[in-house]
Amino acid sequence: MNAKKAATLALGILTSVGGFFDVGNIATSVQAGAVFRLQLLWPLILGTILVIFLVEMSGRFAAVTRQALPDAIRTHLGFAAWLGPFLILSLVHFLVLGAEIGGICFALHLITGLPVPFWALPVAALTWLFLWRTSFSAIENSTSLLGLVTLAFVVAAWLHHPPTGQILAGMLPTLPHHDPVRYWFMAVSLLGAVISPYMFYFYSSGAVEDKWDDSYIGVNRGVAFIGMGFGSVISLAAIVVAAVVLAPRGIQVDDYHQAALMLTQAFPFWGFVLFAASMAIACLGAAVEVALSMAYTTAQTFGWNWGEDLDPREDTRFCLIYTGAILGSALLILFGVDPLKLTLLTMAINAAVLPFIAIPFLLLMNDRKLLDKHCNGWISNGITLLTVLLSIVLAVVSIPLLIKGGS
Amino acid sequence: MKALKDYGDDDLELARDILDKQVVDREETKMGRVDGLVLELREGLPPRVDHIEMGGVVLARRLSPRLERWVDGWRRRFGVRKVARYKVPWSAVLELTSYHLKLDVAALETPNFDWERWLRDHVIEHIPRPLKGKKE
Repeated sequence: MNAKKAATLALGILTSVGGFFDVGNIATSVQAGAVFRLQLLWPLILGTILVIFLVEMSGRFAAVTRQALPDAIRTHLGFAAWLGPFLILSLVHFLVLGAEIGGICFALHLITGLPVPFWALPVAALTWLFLWRTSFSAIENSTSLLGLVTLAFVVAAWLHHPPTGQILAGMLPTLPHHDPVRYWFMAVSLLGAVISPYMFYFYSSGAVEDKWDDSYIGVNRGVAFIGMGFGSVISLAAIVVAAVVLAPRGIQVDDYHQAALMLTQAFPFWGFVLFAASMAIACLGAAVEVALSMAYTTAQTFGWNWGEDLDPREDTRFCLIYTGAILGSALLILFGVDPLKLTLLTMAINAAVLPFIAIPFLLLMNDRKLLDKHCNGWISNGITLLTVLLSIVLAVVSIPLLIKGGS
Repeated sequence: MKALKDYGDDDLELARDILDKQVVDREETKMGRVDGLVLELREGLPPRVDHIEMGGVVLARRLSPRLERWVDGWRRRFGVRKVARYKVPWSAVLELTSYHLKLDVAALETPNFDWERWLRDHVIEHIPRPLKGKKE
């Protein structure tokens, strides 16, 4: 493997930091660990397997056709078929962007003590500046490098010597010992946090930005596996730490303040700062990814010029979309929407909209005219169908749970 | 048309292979999509593709005439895009591949780029720009 191809791992880690271990995962993992200890590791494992397959498929699609998913779906399924999923995806992008910006604001609030809404506009400006100034590869590299801070969770989990047997047992689905409504609601939210629908759309656009071709098919497999595996290990570690530190003290994490102390046992002095830094970086990576994803999807839907490496003069509408999205979703936080509540809501919505987003994707992955011998085999189709079925069940289950169980 | 790539012996289908396809200009700048296809019916002869149409109004019409009027109303109110439907005769098509339709035009001079130009002149020019687009 040459250096350029090895560097594509950065796309995997960026996608992972942004789409996987983001504000949604911090919130759901920490809550799951605090309330159900190690019993809810299985939704994470299940979600990870599904996500590895979905990400591999979208990368393979981009490598073979040189097209990103929104682009190809509009071309091959037509405008009328794509409009619904596109509008749903735009709403998801907008809400998730709000949650991520809220996450960064919260991390800054933890460190400075200033109120969350105070940070909304400075954070929006910073996120925007990051996108405006940097090239795609610089975003990939800086975010994946900074994302390594989140490994603090893994180190903390290690230092606590968690019970290995219980961890392995938690990886298999079991019935809850208490609070069944809350248990299933959390299982749904964990899955929704892992399988973010915008993730594989983003990944395919990133692969086009990085100019992948057929020779990347093998690399793509590794990137999907390692990138998503990275996010998964960190989320697992977050559950473990919450289970060991928060659960015995009866802390149920009704807001992020309670979560912020979870690393202080492993790192007495640095724990608080590490938590805030991990949160800020994971959320910044995610905010950048989601804002870009929204701009990619919109520009491709209407056929505008797009690309993070272009001079903004050449794709003004692309820049307008991410600028507007960042500003609009920062207003949610400025006007006092609670970041944790917004996050939990978006995770449930994620699970609910997944069928609409995954079905057009599955149709394309089976198009011989487009993919020829790189079409989906029965394993990939089976996994995607399972994901779609699962997400339909989740959708049916999550909405009543959201009303009944809440958090 | 000078080049018809990737299609080999397959039939070319209007809705599947041409409608909604990415449109690029001479320099391969992405300039929109084939939002509409207009056929010409001829006495005693098979129908022929007369021109392609591009624009939000064309897209809106595909969903409902009411939506078309509404979108057109907004277009007039903003007054940036002067021509609702940008029509390009089929004779201007240079190349048709599986991923794009190349037209013998300059994107920047077309109605499709009215908004792009407006944003550039009124907004982008006033913000310090990064040195992008000069790599590789």
